[in-house]
Amino acid sequence: LVLVLPPLPRFRGLLQRCWQRLEGGLLPGFSRGQSLPWGPALAVQAPAFLPQPVDDTNESNEAPSLLDSILWMAAPKKRRTIEVNRCRRRNPNKLIKVKTNIDVCPECGNLKQKHVLCGYCYAKVKAETRLIRKEIYKQEGGPFNAPTEETVVLYDGEKPTEKDAGKRIIERARKRPSWFAQN
Amino acid sequence: GNACVRGLLGWARPERWLAASSLFPLSCIHTSCTALQQIGKWEKKNRIVYPPQLPGEPRRPAEIYHCRREIKYSKDKMWYLAKLIKGMSIDQALAQLEFSDKKGAKVIKEVLLEAQELAVKKHNVEFKSNLHIAESTTGRGRYMKRIRYHGKGMFGIMKIVRCHYFVKLVEGPPPPPEPPKTGFDQAKEYVQQLRSRTLVNTL
Repeated sequence: LVLVLPPLPRFRGLLQRCWQRLEGGLLPGFSRGQSLPWGPALAVQAPAFLPQPVDDTNESNEAPSLLDSILWMAAPKKRRTIEVNRCRRRNPNKLIKVKTNIDVCPECGNLKQKHVLCGYCYAKVKAETRLIRKEIYKQEGGPFNAPTEETVVLYDGEKPTEKDAGKRIIERARKRPSWFAQN
Repeated sequence: GNACVRGLLGWARPERWLAASSLFPLSCIHTSCTALQQIGKWEKKNRIVYPPQLPGEPRRPAEIYHCRREIKYSKDKMWYLAKLIKGMSIDQALAQLEFSDKKGAKVIKEVLLEAQELAVKKHNVEFKSNLHIAESTTGRGRYMKRIRYHGKGMFGIMKIVRCHYFVKLVEGPPPPPEPPKTGFDQAKEYVQQLRSRTLVNTL
């Protein structure tokens, strides 16, 4: 018999059960008069000593213990020196790249990214839209009162044309902004 | 009063004393002693006054030192932004910072604009665009330690981190970037090194 290092408790439990089954099967077979009634019928590498049945049930129910799992957990072997740390932190792939897609907005002269709307112009339009929406709210008087016609925004000194015949008119008390073209 | 004056004379070097109070020697003797916040070294760099230049000398470019203290940001993360704008012209630096997504970019942009204003108003800089960033670094601010609660009654001690940001603007266009070292240059240096070897401990 080869002495194998204590295998996982599950394997020991399996061995136990095999052994018990063999014992149960061999007792009636003893009457046949075999030379080794207690010898294991399976040709399996087993521990030389009989595994103790005392604390067997606990071990067979327990999952692979914490001690086993700690043995194979990854952990740093040595402290990383500051030189090594600097090489990693200052590697060119970690440095911020210089952006080449910054342009000047032709309308206001502020900076803008090529594929994005100019922030200043957008804020300008947003502010004006907010005031128009406030006027609309004043005219409607409450939520869910949107009419079925189109809306036209007219600024100071502008009269509704023939095209704005059946449309709802919103008045804004200021000069027409240059970027808001009149139809 | 007297102790303050003695202390001032002890650490102040003559040129700095002159710089701080050229016209009125006793006007600001009490400022650094009585103020709870110490004036940092970087802020004091703005106070040096050079003697007038001789007629033949090339014009000394103006240097503006500015900093912001105790910014609620990590010095390591801020360093990446400082490294980005090192050596750029101020306009290019402002453009890059405007479209950077980092929290520190907004802070550095404010610092650069303040420094630009200072340059034009106090340091006799003619064109506000004619500045470039000579030095830009970060420093560690005051850290606070706090408890971070984990599960199962465990806890960790976390650091609330702050940093300083220092910038030096110099008048003039940015210096051209150094050309990368070619293999030929490295070979030349190696040969030079070999040629300059001598025998040691001999005649």
